[in-house]
Amino acid sequence: MVRGNIASMKKTNPSFLNGIPELLVLRLLTAREMYGYQIVEEIRTRTGESLSFGEGCIYPYLHYLEAQKQVSSQRREVAGRSRNYYKLTARGRKRLEALSSEWKRVTSGVALLMGEQYA
Amino acid sequence: MRNPDFIERLCRRLVELGCPLAQVRRLVREVADHREDLKQAALAEGLSGPGAEARTDVQLGDPLYLAERLMAAQRRSSWWGRHYVVAFGLLPVLAFPVLWLLLLLLQMVLAFALGYGWDEKKLDVAVNDPMTFQYVLMAFQFIDYVAVALVAFLFCWLARRAAVSLNWMVTACAVCSFLALFTWGKIEPHSFFVGFTADSHLHLQWLRGAIPLAVAGAIYVFQRRTTRRFQEQVPA
Repeated sequence: MVRGNIASMKKTNPSFLNGIPELLVLRLLTAREMYGYQIVEEIRTRTGESLSFGEGCIYPYLHYLEAQKQVSSQRREVAGRSRNYYKLTARGRKRLEALSSEWKRVTSGVALLMGEQYA
Repeated sequence: MRNPDFIERLCRRLVELGCPLAQVRRLVREVADHREDLKQAALAEGLSGPGAEARTDVQLGDPLYLAERLMAAQRRSSWWGRHYVVAFGLLPVLAFPVLWLLLLLLQMVLAFALGYGWDEKKLDVAVNDPMTFQYVLMAFQFIDYVAVALVAFLFCWLARRAAVSLNWMVTACAVCSFLALFTWGKIEPHSFFVGFTADSHLHLQWLRGAIPLAVAGAIYVFQRRTTRRFQEQVPA
């Protein structure tokens, strides 16, 4: 479970774990604009429920990414419901590339250490 | 069990933590939308109304914790929020004299450019006429106070924007206040001086020192009153 605690994560986890929620959110937003609930649902379904955010926990990440100009948001009305849609920016794309290559490096390193059955 | 005031509790906690009200409205609206989506999903799964709401509140977790997370995210998103000790405890020591001088000069240039009694002809008259020069001195003193107030206001604004506690805003203003006691600017016919002094012979230095504290006090009171008013509107 990705239980994000921005404040404690930095202190207690190795740095490569810090970027996982960020990586997931940015990756999902490459496909299309989404709002918070959709992002949480997508993460849950596309990871076969092995990863899930606490429902409210997505917003600190989204707002952090927005403050970093990695995503932008716009309030729009769709099917009678007004929602805040998040979209990936050029800076977000660059950040996604950096995080993805870091993630590949870490996972391949872990796989080497753990043996082939974990690869 | 249903938690009927999830949104209200979130709202209250965000305000208590000093979240700017525009941000509170946005956060609360988003979480309320999310809550509604969860509730609709639960209803679609066949849960009754109260059952759906109860599950929704469990899924969303503790609103107080969520508010603290949201505020932490906001603090983390800016340099000012991440390094608040440096930004509001140490930086004003270096920044105050520089910013004060820049703002003072900027105001003088603006006043001169706009011709509010500072054009060369009027200055020549003022220099040769002690009575008129008194007005120039008063104007100078006024823009000096404005410069001090603007520097304090800038730090207050940064503190509010970075979502750090009001105590850090007051700390920055206290540093500005201390420095305002020892910085000075002065004009004489054909001369302009600025500097530091530990000598209290300069008139009204205490007033300069009081200005940043007054700015911080005004913003502190405004924030407290806004919080109280907001809390009165939102049932406990």
